[in-house]
Order: sequence, then C-alpha cells, then structure tokens
Amino acid sequence: MPEVSLCNSKGRDAQVMAESVRSPVLVRWIDGQDRQATSARILKSTLDYDYDALLQRVGSPQDVAKALIAGDPEIDPETTGSFLRDTSRVFVNCDRKIVYGVTQIEIVRNPDGSEKTRRPRKAQMPNVNADQPLLWSGKLLPKREVYNKFVFVQKLQVVHINGLTYDFLFDIARQLEEKNSLLLVGAGPKAAQPLILRYGALPYRAFLEGRTRGTEYCLLLHLSNIELKAPAAPTAAAEGNAS
Amino acid sequence: MAKPLVFEFRGGQVSFGIQKVDRTKLYGYVDTEVVDEGGRACELGTLLGDGHSVVGKGGTGLAYLSPDGLWRKKADLRPVDRDGKPIPTAKSTFDTVVPLTDQATIEDYLSHNVYLIYLLTHEQPEGMAPQPIEELVEHLREGTIYRFPFTYRGGVSTTVGFLLAGGDGNLFLCVGVPTVIEYVGLKATAAVVVDPGDESAEDESLDFSMV
Repeated sequence: MPEVSLCNSKGRDAQVMAESVRSPVLVRWIDGQDRQATSARILKSTLDYDYDALLQRVGSPQDVAKALIAGDPEIDPETTGSFLRDTSRVFVNCDRKIVYGVTQIEIVRNPDGSEKTRRPRKAQMPNVNADQPLLWSGKLLPKREVYNKFVFVQKLQVVHINGLTYDFLFDIARQLEEKNSLLLVGAGPKAAQPLILRYGALPYRAFLEGRTRGTEYCLLLHLSNIELKAPAAPTAAAEGNAS
Repeated sequence: MAKPLVFEFRGGQVSFGIQKVDRTKLYGYVDTEVVDEGGRACELGTLLGDGHSVVGKGGTGLAYLSPDGLWRKKADLRPVDRDGKPIPTAKSTFDTVVPLTDQATIEDYLSHNVYLIYLLTHEQPEGMAPQPIEELVEHLREGTIYRFPFTYRGGVSTTVGFLLAGGDGNLFLCVGVPTVIEYVGLKATAAVVVDPGDESAEDESLDFSMV
C-alpha cells in the first residue's frame, strides 16, 4: 500500500494511502474428492539438456530426432520434474554461460517496427512518495468528455489514515463529484509529469475521481498509458482467431 | 476468416470485425538489447536453487497438484467459486448473438480495469438484410455505453465487455475486469477501556506531591 502526498485545491498537502482495488481470483479448481488443487512450476529441462545442447552433442537435427527415438537424451533423471524453488533471474550469453556484467540498450521503435533511436536503459525512479506532494493541477476534465479519450488500465483507491485526512479527502471527493469531472494528476512542480509509482515501473497519466455517499467517500486514482483511438495506419487483420 | 462479433440491436443484428489496439500500434515500442562485455547478445535465464543449473526459455512447465502433492490433470479438475459452488462454463462471445440491453453508466465503466481494446469495423454481410449500423453508431456517439459478459474463447473466466464510441468517433470494444472499490467513512476509534480496579483506587483530588 504506497503512501502518497496529495494537495487539495487550497494548496494544503496531506499524506494518505493508495490501496489496490484489483479483484481477487474468484475461480478455484478442485479434484474428484473436492480438494483444492494448487499449481506449481516444475522443471522440464536445463540448458544442458535442451534442443541446442542436444544439437551440439549429436551434430544435426536428424541425429537429434534419432536420439530422441532411441532414448531419452532430453531428460536428466536428477532434475527433470523437480519443483522450482529459490530461483533467480540471470543473463546467459551465446556460449550459454552466466554473465555477470551486462550492458542494456533500449531500441525505441516506431509502430511499423523501424528504429527511432537507441539509448542506455535507465530504470525510472518513482516520483510518488510522501516527500513529493502531488500538486493540485486545477485541470478538471468533465467525465463525459474524458471517459472515451483514455483507457483506464489500472486504478488505486486513495484512503485516509486518520480523522484529519478523512476530512481532507472527503472534501476533495465532494468537490470533484460536484464538478462531475476528473482531476488531471501529475508529478513535478507543474503537476505535468506522468506518475511513476515504483522503481522501474511504467509511467502513467493519472486522473482523480471523487464520489460520495452520505458521510462516506470514494476517491479513485485512474491510471492510463494509452488513448482510446484507432491506430494511424491500417494494420493487418484482426488478431487472434475467434473460431 | 475470423468470426464476427454480432450484436442484437433494436430488433436487428449488427456484425463487426475486431482489430486489437495496443500501445505498440499507437506509439511504437521499446526493445531491450542486452550484451556482455564482449558485445555478444545475452538472454534471460533462470538460475536454479543449486546455484549452477540454468533453465532457458521453455524449460519450465506448470503442474496441478492435490493437497497431498499428487499430480492432477487439468481436465480432471472442476472450477468452483470461493464458496465451493460449481462455475458454469460459458460459450465464446463470438459463438452467440449479444443482445445490447444492458446500458452502463460512466461510473460503471470507470469502476473496471480495462486490459484489452478492440477497434470494431463494420462490413455489411453479403446477401443479408440491411443492418441498423447507422442507428447504433449514432446512439453510441451520443454517449451510450453497453455492457455484456465477454469471453474470447469461452470457459469459466468471463470478463466484462463495454461497447462504446471513442473520442475519435470510432467504435471500440473495451474488455475489463471489475474492481473492489468501496466507499469509506470515518471509523470510530477504539474506546479506551479503563480498568475498574484502578478507577476505584484512584483519588479524585489532584496530588501535587507527585509533581
């Protein structure tokens, strides 16, 4: 539950919490005895026993096929089928050895795949925390004009942590509800930068929505990283096959 | 050819082809190239707990296990909800005609996390009665949002499809999942419970000898 510092229309800031509103998984799988089954990751083969390793060992794809018919060269009886626990992510080079020092380069491409630019990869630093208040941008976007311009892919619910912040957030929610608008929320001194919630996370444009019901309120921070519009150039036929 | 998505609208049927829209198609994308000190390309692998075995792409699988650790085939398992009630499987939305009867408010729509976007394209099917497409487009451009259960391939997991007109006038199918938002109020703080034993012993007068 990240802590955020939020400003109201008077320029007063307060530290509040932003909670996830993702719905829990509602489907459980049970066996014939009504016992819940669990999923587990298991090992099929290590690099020493995969196709490339077999190819290197026997020489040609035809010989790999013959070896597979003759025996089980792809199976390591010691490890195949074992549960994967305490694993780590590593980089391996073309010699299939672990590499301890790598350079990561980002290649920015246009929608048609053509290269636009190259740059060293740099993880984005979060710009939402208790020390950096999110300023009141004052940009109120009527709901009827904004709901079909952006795609709201995630949301967080902003909640109070004490009586003072309850009043603070309730007032913001009521103010936004009365205007029937979403407030554009941004980071930085001009409240114009997209929000980066965690180290290395994707940046999102954010919109604050307020609802009230009696003495209760609901303050939602909608996150969006895509507009609802058709691609500029016609693309190939519909993805996937419905049949 | 992909099956069309067919809606029932005001007594007629309207069919659409779908085209997935994502960030890649709108804004492009970023590839990450990883090289070692010798400039040779590297790829991600998984280092096992033994500290030396490495697993490459496709080297792992998913298994279903009973509580006592026995192998279970997915086909032998039954889906149930949190209370243990069986969940019926649904047919693919492309195998049915979707009645447009459930209108959603903007707040309903905003209460979902949208994770798939499809651009809808209409083509009048040959040899079939004219479809009320203009009427539907006009209705959606006025701000109407229709909601219906959506599942691409069928199965137990149904998500919510929203049919709406985008800001650019095109029609879209936005697929989302509901969220668990709730109204919050000021909860009463826990009352301080005073030990009655201490209360009786406490002297009501102010004791200045303790100052």
